[in-house]
Amino acid sequence: MDNKPEWEWEIKPDENWLRLNLREIVQYKDLLFRFVRRDIIASYQQTILGPIWVFLQPFLTTVVYFIIFRKIANIQTADTPPILFYLPGIIIWTYFSDCFTGVMNTFLYNAYIFSKVYFPRVIVPISNVLFHSFRLGIQLVLFLIVYAFFAFRVPQVRPTVFILLLPYLVMLTAGFALGSGLIISVLTAKYRDLDNILQFLLRLFMFATPVVYPVSLVPEQYRYLFWLNPLTAVIETFRSAFFSTTPIQFTELLLSTVTVFLVLLTGLLVFRKREVKIMDVI
Amino acid sequence: MGDILIKAENISKYYRLGLLGSRTLKEDIKNWWNRKSHEDTLPPYISNALSTDHIWALKNINFEVRHGELLGIIGRNGAGKSTLLKIISRITLPTTGHIRGKGRIASLLEVGTGFHGELTGRENIYLNGHIMGMKKQEIEEKFDEIVDFSGVEQFLDTPVKRYSSGMYVRLAFAVAAHLEPEILVIDEVLAVGDADFQRKCIGKMKEVSSQQGRTILFVSHNMEALRNLCSRSIVLNRGEIVDMGEPEAVISRYLKSEKTQYLEQDFPDKATAPGNEYIRIRRVQLLPQYVHDYTIIDIRTPLELQFEFWYESPERGSNLIVGVHLFNFNGECIFDLPSPKYTFNEGLIQGKCTIPGNFLNDGAYYISIVFVKNITQRLFYFESCISFDVEDYRENAGWYGKWVGHVRPNFPLVLSPKSI
Repeated sequence: MDNKPEWEWEIKPDENWLRLNLREIVQYKDLLFRFVRRDIIASYQQTILGPIWVFLQPFLTTVVYFIIFRKIANIQTADTPPILFYLPGIIIWTYFSDCFTGVMNTFLYNAYIFSKVYFPRVIVPISNVLFHSFRLGIQLVLFLIVYAFFAFRVPQVRPTVFILLLPYLVMLTAGFALGSGLIISVLTAKYRDLDNILQFLLRLFMFATPVVYPVSLVPEQYRYLFWLNPLTAVIETFRSAFFSTTPIQFTELLLSTVTVFLVLLTGLLVFRKREVKIMDVI
Repeated sequence: MGDILIKAENISKYYRLGLLGSRTLKEDIKNWWNRKSHEDTLPPYISNALSTDHIWALKNINFEVRHGELLGIIGRNGAGKSTLLKIISRITLPTTGHIRGKGRIASLLEVGTGFHGELTGRENIYLNGHIMGMKKQEIEEKFDEIVDFSGVEQFLDTPVKRYSSGMYVRLAFAVAAHLEPEILVIDEVLAVGDADFQRKCIGKMKEVSSQQGRTILFVSHNMEALRNLCSRSIVLNRGEIVDMGEPEAVISRYLKSEKTQYLEQDFPDKATAPGNEYIRIRRVQLLPQYVHDYTIIDIRTPLELQFEFWYESPERGSNLIVGVHLFNFNGECIFDLPSPKYTFNEGLIQGKCTIPGNFLNDGAYYISIVFVKNITQRLFYFESCISFDVEDYRENAGWYGKWVGHVRPNFPLVLSPKSI
C-alpha cells in the first residue's frame, strides 16, 4: 500500500543555482498587481495635490537644472531647447534611481512580511518597478505635451521613426534598475553600512550618465567609458529619436542590451539564491 | 488514515545568537580573515555551530503528517515550535534535513500580514488574501462570506487605520478563516481577539478540518483547544521531539513534566531575565494570605500575586495591558484577568492582584502572565511562571468525595419554608 508517494515540493537547506522558477511568479501575478495597486493608492492618500506631484517633480527639477547647468555652468545642450533636452534625461534618470532605490530596500522594508508568510520574494521588487513605471507613464505624457508644443517650431525638434523604440528603452532602464537593485539588495540586507556609501555612489553615477549634458561633450578618448553605462545608450537614443540632431548609435544600443541582460540575469539568480537565507540575518 | 502529505526528515536548524542584523562588513571581513589564517579544517557551518554563540533551535526532527490530520505542537517558549513552523512555511531554511510534501500550504503565523493602514477594508481583504496565497477568483467568491464573518460591513470603505483594534483583528481573522489550502499551518494566533471571536474561530477550524478534510498543523498554548481539536500531538523540548501521540495522553504527560512548584521567581540580573526587547521580568511571587498559622494553601486562602517587570522602549502613546491567566493542570483556563489599559514610560513596573479565598476548587494550578501592546500585539508571554496546589478544606459537609467544579465559591444558598 505504501507506494512511493509523489512529492510536489521539497524544502532543503540550499536553493539550487540556475532555477529561476519563473512559473511561480506567474502564479502569483494577482499579488504582484495588488502590490502595485497598493503603492499607487497609498502614495497619494492624504497629499493635497495627489498625482499632480508626478508632473511637478520633473518640471521643478528641469527648472533647477536649467538654471544651474545651462545658465550658471553654461553646459551646451546640443542645439535643442534646454527644457526639452533635460526632460528625457531627468525622466529616465528619476525612473532608474527610484526603481533602483526601491528594489535595493526590498528586504529592509518588507522584513515584517517576509518573516510571516511565503511568496516568491521577487514579486516585491518587480511590483516596485511596475509602480514606478506607472509614474513614468504619466511623466512621459507630460514630456509629449511639451514636445508637441516645440515640435516643428524649432528645426531640430522633429520626430524620427525611432520614437517607436521608446517602450524598449523603458524596458532596458527597468531591467537595469531591477538587476542591479537585486544584487545590491542582497548586500544591503546583510551589511547595513553599505547604504550610506550607495547614496553617494548613486549621485555620482548620475553625473556619469548624460542627464545634463550630451555625450558629444565628452572628449573622444573617454567616450567609450560612458557607453559602457547602459543608461547612456538609453538616454542618447531617446534624444536621437525625438530630436534629429544626432543619429542613433545602434552598436552602443546593442552593447547596452547585452549588459542589461547580464546584469538582470545575475540579479535574479543571486536574489533567488539568497532570498530565504537572508531572513536569518535581518 | 489518508496519504502522507508531509514528511520531515532530520530537520535541524542553528541560529547565530547576539549580533543578529547589526552585522557589518568589517566584522565579516575579520571573520573571513580569521578563518583563512587559521585554516580551519571543519566546514564553516560546523565550526560556527560548535562555537558558543550559536544554538540549535531544532535537532533531528522527524515526523509525518497524514491527510486530514490535525497535528498539535506543544512546548515551552523557545522549544523550537515557531522555528519548525517557519521552516514548513518556507520562511527560513533548515540547516540540515529536508521536508517533502504534497499540496498547497498556507501559513498563518500572524493575522493581517501586510495590512496597509491607508487602504480601505475592502482593499485590504484582497491584499491580505493574495499575500496568504489566495487567487483573485477565490477571494471574489468568498468576499461576502468574509465580510459577514468579520462584521465590519459598514466600514468596508474606510481606511483600516481608522478601525478599532478589535475590528482590525476581526477583519484580519475573517480573511484567514477563509483560506482553503490543502495544508494550513497556524501559530498561536487565536490568542488575539475576544473570547467570543476565538470560539468562532475554533469552530471554523474544526469545520474546515472535519468536513473539508484539510490538514492542519497547529501551535498553541491553549491546551483546551489542542485537546478538542487535534488528532495527534507532538511535544518539543529544546529543539527535540520528546513525545508524540494521542493528544489526551500527550498533554497530560506534558503538563505533569511541567509541574514544578514555583511560588516565587526572582531575576535580579536584567540581562539574563526572561523576556525580550520589550519586557523583562524582574520578579513574580505568589503570597498566600494564610488564614491561620499553618502554611498550607487551601481553598480558603486568598492568594496575592505580585510581579515586577522592566518595560523597555515602549512606543510613544502605545498602551499596555497585562493579563493574568490561571490554568488548572488539565490546561483549562480558569480565568483570564486583564488589567486596564496603561501608558507607561520605560522603567520598572509593578503589578498585583488577589485571587480571593473561597473561590478556587482544590487542585493544581499554574499562572501565566501575558503582556499586550495596543490590545492586539503580544509583547511577551511568561508561561507557567507560578504553579501551586490548593488543598481541600471542609468544615461541615460530612462528605469527602471529590468536590466537582472548576471553582468552589462560597456565596450563600439559603432555604426557608415559604409562608402562605
